[in-house]
Amino acid sequence: MSSLFVNIFNGIVIGTIYALSALGISLILGAMNVMNFAHGEFYIFGAYFSYFFSRSLGFSPLIAILLSLGLIFWIGFLVEKTLIRSTYGNLMDSLIITFILSIVLQNIALIIFGPYPKKPPSWIRGSINVLDLFYYSSQRLITFIVAVLLLILFFIVMNKTWFGKIVRAISADREVASLMGINCDKVNSFSFGFGVALASVAGAIISPIFGVTPMGGVGIGLTSVVVVVLGGMGSFKGCVIGGLLLGIIENIGVAYISSGYRNIFGFIILILILLFRPSGLFGTTIK
Amino acid sequence: MKKSSKNLLLVIFLGIVVCLPFLLDDYWLHVAILTLFYVIMASSWNLLAGYTGQVSFAHAAFAAIGAYISGILSVQMSISPLITLLFGSVIAAIFGLGLGLLCLKMGGIYLSLTTLGFSEIVHIIIKNEYEITRGTMGLEVPNLLGFYSKTAYFYIMLSITFIIIFFLAKLIKSDLGLKFKSVLNDELAASSIGIDTVKVRVIAFTISSAIAGFAGGLYGHYLLLITPEMSSLSQMFMILAMTIIGGMGTLSGPIAGAVFLQVLSEYIRIFGKFHLLLFGVISLLVIKFAPGGIVGLYRKITQSKTDLLKIETQSKYDY
Repeated sequence: MSSLFVNIFNGIVIGTIYALSALGISLILGAMNVMNFAHGEFYIFGAYFSYFFSRSLGFSPLIAILLSLGLIFWIGFLVEKTLIRSTYGNLMDSLIITFILSIVLQNIALIIFGPYPKKPPSWIRGSINVLDLFYYSSQRLITFIVAVLLLILFFIVMNKTWFGKIVRAISADREVASLMGINCDKVNSFSFGFGVALASVAGAIISPIFGVTPMGGVGIGLTSVVVVVLGGMGSFKGCVIGGLLLGIIENIGVAYISSGYRNIFGFIILILILLFRPSGLFGTTIK
Repeated sequence: MKKSSKNLLLVIFLGIVVCLPFLLDDYWLHVAILTLFYVIMASSWNLLAGYTGQVSFAHAAFAAIGAYISGILSVQMSISPLITLLFGSVIAAIFGLGLGLLCLKMGGIYLSLTTLGFSEIVHIIIKNEYEITRGTMGLEVPNLLGFYSKTAYFYIMLSITFIIIFFLAKLIKSDLGLKFKSVLNDELAASSIGIDTVKVRVIAFTISSAIAGFAGGLYGHYLLLITPEMSSLSQMFMILAMTIIGGMGTLSGPIAGAVFLQVLSEYIRIFGKFHLLLFGVISLLVIKFAPGGIVGLYRKITQSKTDLLKIETQSKYDY
């Protein structure tokens, strides 16, 4: 019984990471109408940069994560300006460009960091007894807490600040928003940077547990997309619930069926959703 | 350029291609056969992406399905590969039809997502079901002809490539091809004049999956070893990069792109691990600065000399 609890709790922890990453995709999709297939690669680069800053340059984990977050934000900002801006209004072109970008980034990671997993240092050691049911690694628990805090921060930014208001306005109606004097190009660059920064911070905080490999981004990128579709495109709430659901389903599937098929559960869910409820749990279909 | 001189160039080009086995050594003949495989793959992917505007990421996976079905049947039931090849193609077409029906109604982005997911599923299943597919070890399959001859194989590949390209050219010029283009250019307008857009897309998707499955089988029975690498995303990326660098939405583009990338990758063989990175950077540059690819550049050069009026009347997706 306690192993079931552990599996469910593991699912919730990884689910918050999926949710963070999926929120990035959802933000970019909503604000810019661009499906970012290179999202998983920004996730692994977030992890690699935090590894680089903490292991090679000796910063403390928190500073390393903040540095990598800032760096990825600016990389995303520049990528939007140079590559993605020319594809506005053409979903297919942006799909192709971000797919190529993902291959390029994977290979850069492979060349710089090598094919073997890299792990930033843990923040904390030991484990905690949870309600006398099971022992749980402190690192996982603290990762979970940080992820939840970040999720709360995201919702505060989107609902209470000026930036969130503008992004929501653009998602609702781009033309009217620009008539109201919003500089859409600038907001696009910021939201792309912000979106990929969410992926990178998700990668950075989970990497002390799982490590990071150059090809690790493919699975997480696809999973995040599945979460977005599961939750419903355009719904931030859906991303969080979809992420948690998928995390739990995957972990139970891995525990009771086979660990080789970890990523398949997500795709089966994707196909089921497309068959029976294309709008997802909370969303509307996009055209 | 005048039509007659264009035809002359084509004839000279074909003549050189047919004589290739006498001009090249064994190794380069091998490269030529692989190039032909990529020509088929890129051309059939182009039918989808370039002519009907559906970006599918499962093309390499369909090739792998064709290769594995054909390989497994010929190994386990010892049927001649000439027959199992067709089975592989049919199974790939059935998968294509199913996937097409599943997500083409919703169009665009859902197709790309589902095909990407499907391609990963195929990759994972091939890797994990090692009792049947022999996993990452690779599946040994018999030769297509029963004997091993690169020259013979080259001519088989060449004639099949010709047939497929000819078929694609006829298809694009036919009524159905016109429907493909109308769906690409304006889906709403196309459906308003009575074109069943979903049906048109499903047809295109099924045809291209069948071709991919067939090509995959041919590739497998030539290399004699099929590995899960066939269904990987980097393989898919190669097909995509070739089409884009050659020129998407043109008939000659994928051919030019496949030849260019294959020959280039032979010349930069020493920088093995930089291949994909370099190809990615090239394709990004092409999209950014020369969206028409090699064919587009060539047309720009030849057309700038002829009258300008012609350029204006020529549609973007004309070939």
